Amino acid sequence: MERFDVAIVGGGTAGFSALQQLSNLGKQAILIEAGKTPGSKNVSGGILYSKTPKNGRVYNVEDVFGQEFVTQAPVERLITKYILHATSNDKVFSIDLTPAHEYQSNFAYSVLLTKLIPWFAKQAGENAERQGGGIVSGVHVRGVSWNGDKTIVETDELEPFEVKAIIAADGVNSELAELSKARPKFTPEELYQGVKVVVKLPEEILQERFNIKPNEGAAHLFAGDVTLDHIGGGFLYTNRDTLSLGAVYHYDSLMENPVEPYVLVDRLLKNPLISEFVKDEVAIKEDIDKSLATQEQLRARFAVSKLLKNWGDLRDQYYSRLGRARLVENGRYKSEEEIKARLDSIRNELVGRYNTKFVNDYVELEYSAKLVPDGKRCRMKKPYRKNILFVGDAAGRGIFVGPRIEGLNVGIDDAVRAANSISRSLDRNNFAEEYMGEFYTKSIEDSPYTRDMKEIDKDYLKLFLDAAKAVPVDIVKARYGIIFKLMSSGMLRGLAVGFANILGYDRLLPMVETRETYVQVPIELAEKLGSHTASTYSCTIPTIAQRIAKLRYNDDTLSHIRILDPKSEFMRKMVVLCPTKCYSIEQEEVMLQHEGCIECGSCAKETDWKHPRGEKGIEFRYG
Amino acid sequence: MEIAELMASPLNLAVIVKLEPDFSEGSVSYNSDGTLNRAETKSILGPHSAIASAAAFYAKVKYGAVISVATMGPPIADSALQQAQLISDADSLHLYSDRIFSGADTLATAEVLKTGIKKMEGTGEMDIVFSGHRASDGETGQTGPQTAWKLGYTFLGNVICYDVDIEKRIVTAKRLITLQGTPDVIEEIEAPLPVFITVDPSYRSVFNTVSLRLASVKYQKEAEQRAQNYKNYLKIFNAQQLEVDPKFVGLPGSPTIVYKVERIPKARASRRAEVIDGSDQQQLRRVAEKIHEIVGRVVNQ
Repeated sequence: MERFDVAIVGGGTAGFSALQQLSNLGKQAILIEAGKTPGSKNVSGGILYSKTPKNGRVYNVEDVFGQEFVTQAPVERLITKYILHATSNDKVFSIDLTPAHEYQSNFAYSVLLTKLIPWFAKQAGENAERQGGGIVSGVHVRGVSWNGDKTIVETDELEPFEVKAIIAADGVNSELAELSKARPKFTPEELYQGVKVVVKLPEEILQERFNIKPNEGAAHLFAGDVTLDHIGGGFLYTNRDTLSLGAVYHYDSLMENPVEPYVLVDRLLKNPLISEFVKDEVAIKEDIDKSLATQEQLRARFAVSKLLKNWGDLRDQYYSRLGRARLVENGRYKSEEEIKARLDSIRNELVGRYNTKFVNDYVELEYSAKLVPDGKRCRMKKPYRKNILFVGDAAGRGIFVGPRIEGLNVGIDDAVRAANSISRSLDRNNFAEEYMGEFYTKSIEDSPYTRDMKEIDKDYLKLFLDAAKAVPVDIVKARYGIIFKLMSSGMLRGLAVGFANILGYDRLLPMVETRETYVQVPIELAEKLGSHTASTYSCTIPTIAQRIAKLRYNDDTLSHIRILDPKSEFMRKMVVLCPTKCYSIEQEEVMLQHEGCIECGSCAKETDWKHPRGEKGIEFRYG
Repeated sequence: MEIAELMASPLNLAVIVKLEPDFSEGSVSYNSDGTLNRAETKSILGPHSAIASAAAFYAKVKYGAVISVATMGPPIADSALQQAQLISDADSLHLYSDRIFSGADTLATAEVLKTGIKKMEGTGEMDIVFSGHRASDGETGQTGPQTAWKLGYTFLGNVICYDVDIEKRIVTAKRLITLQGTPDVIEEIEAPLPVFITVDPSYRSVFNTVSLRLASVKYQKEAEQRAQNYKNYLKIFNAQQLEVDPKFVGLPGSPTIVYKVERIPKARASRRAEVIDGSDQQQLRRVAEKIHEIVGRVVNQ
């Protein structure tokens, strides 16, 4: 049987950080990823932070991947604006939270993981090869067994192999956690369900619309009536030439009052402010004159398709500084004016000759979904089992405190700590729980990120309250008014936070994370203080069937999900809550059609849920 | 490559490939009489040649084999060699190109390839020669077997997977046998090296251990590097350099000639199609009614 020192299961940001760190330390590690290529199954919101906390240290992405990350990695935009919007009908009240966003932050980039992960994989893969390790993609780990002091990894595709230690970076639906019995599956109370659409928007139109410089970006959060009375909210992040627009809700809040996840995204798109954010010029083909000869109809159809493609491609290039420069540089156009003239002439031909209409609408590229573990509620107290260390989502770790949303950076910090712990164990050849697992636990407990999952940081709170200063205290309901009053004075704030932390998140959260906070107060704020917004059009929102049709799958004839009880209350709710409508009810029983599954795990709690076999299932293009 | 290095390799492989028209949509052009417009059609490495290259890559990953890829064709056929190198991580590329080779049938082509392969051997022996199942533009499937016969190698056809016992110098292979009217059969065979393998279209390399997967990634990267600078690996031979007998190559060496191509006329369809434009509810309802009517008729029968 083949032997390796360390196996890392799962190729996300945490997995590849672990591979890079172990290789940096001169250790042999292999990373096993189920997707055909690294990044093809990764989804995030997403913003990647780098932080310098005032007490203690965290390991950042640039600590692992070097300054090359800042200069070379395919990140989207440096987020320099962070704004919270309270909505009610057409009224919006906005609070600038940029100072809170910048709190202890070195930088924060918007990212699309299908682009970023391959870069991580390239760096870490080359590094690992030098230590006799590397990346094995298209392989699904289905089991781990212990035989004496031997740890044997079993996969669907390869012969079993032996390792000394394992890092479980297999995400929120960690199979390793389940098969090693390290923790029970997460419950709806411990999870958020997130759905996202990636929207196309040419680079410079995007910059002008969000009033940002090249390479810089903005993040917008939404609460109020857009939540359809659920606990959570919406987000919109600017990428280079796309937008990530999504909705994230407490999963128990959705269970209580089920609504199709995409309806929550659609609701965001119907808000006039967001409609204006995503607006673009879209061509609508006119029906071809049926009275023409068949040959002529065909010719026109091909001509229109070709012109539209040329127009779209050229327009994307024209609205990008680099794109324009490239076109002039390679001699295809003499000047920028000439590109513009060509663009106009194609457009005129489309309008004049083929009756194409140009309207305001938006262009959706990809629909995706993901579960997010709420670190405040479900982080593993002992993130290990035997010689397996759990990191990132698999360990239930992430920081979600009001508008503070961090997951990727937490996973990277965990990964470095896990890699360091395993490296120490390899040196001593001791992989016992009390030596390796406990050491890792202590390291994780020392992380400022863990502290943020346990208690309120009063300095962060101050920034948040300062931002909300414009809110007159008497405008919100009495209970919140008192809190605002308390928190506005330095001394009282210290006392109040101290008292709150004595209560602890366990008792505090049910009081704070309520409909009042996410729905009623924002609606009241918008109603009383907000300004009217208007949209010049309404988005043509694709149906869920159209959204699924755009996704790319490598179909697996075998289902990776098995329903346990087709009559359970939970499964009935899945008919509504599955983001790609995989469930239906027939003759009182819930039925599954797994082909459209995007592997979010929303149904995992009461199903026999595995990741698909290697190379099978969803392949995201944006992530 | 140094001879010493060649000798040190546990396995010496050759792959014979062919540059073929790209029949994929958007790449192929036809003349008005329905024949292929070769000048307008892009040429690529034939799909079966690509599978043969992948089969050779398997031995590279598993046994560290040394691979040479060869083709006969015009100078532009070097692009087929480049594509084959990208798949197989070939160590050397051989192009046999000479005006006197033109008009060759399969036997005359086999003569050139055989001579080339013999020349590749140097002081060592060629252990396995791979070819595709057939060409997509000729469909004879003869060049492989005829080259094998000329080389005097054991011929294994329709191979879907293989392994080599380096010590005993024995190859074991599975062959897919499809006979009309009977279920498909997989035959397991064993033969001493050297052998000539034509690869079945269903061939797929299986790398089933971590080490093989890691090695395959390593060689794939090497292949990308090499294919970018493929000219450094390319040797071009004309008839003289190859030392072939002009009697056995090109038109003079071809006992067969295609003197006429007849098109098979299309049978008239007995069904009539009705085009229904599905742009509104009314039309769609008609589709549903049609389906209902037909299904009803079938059920009643």
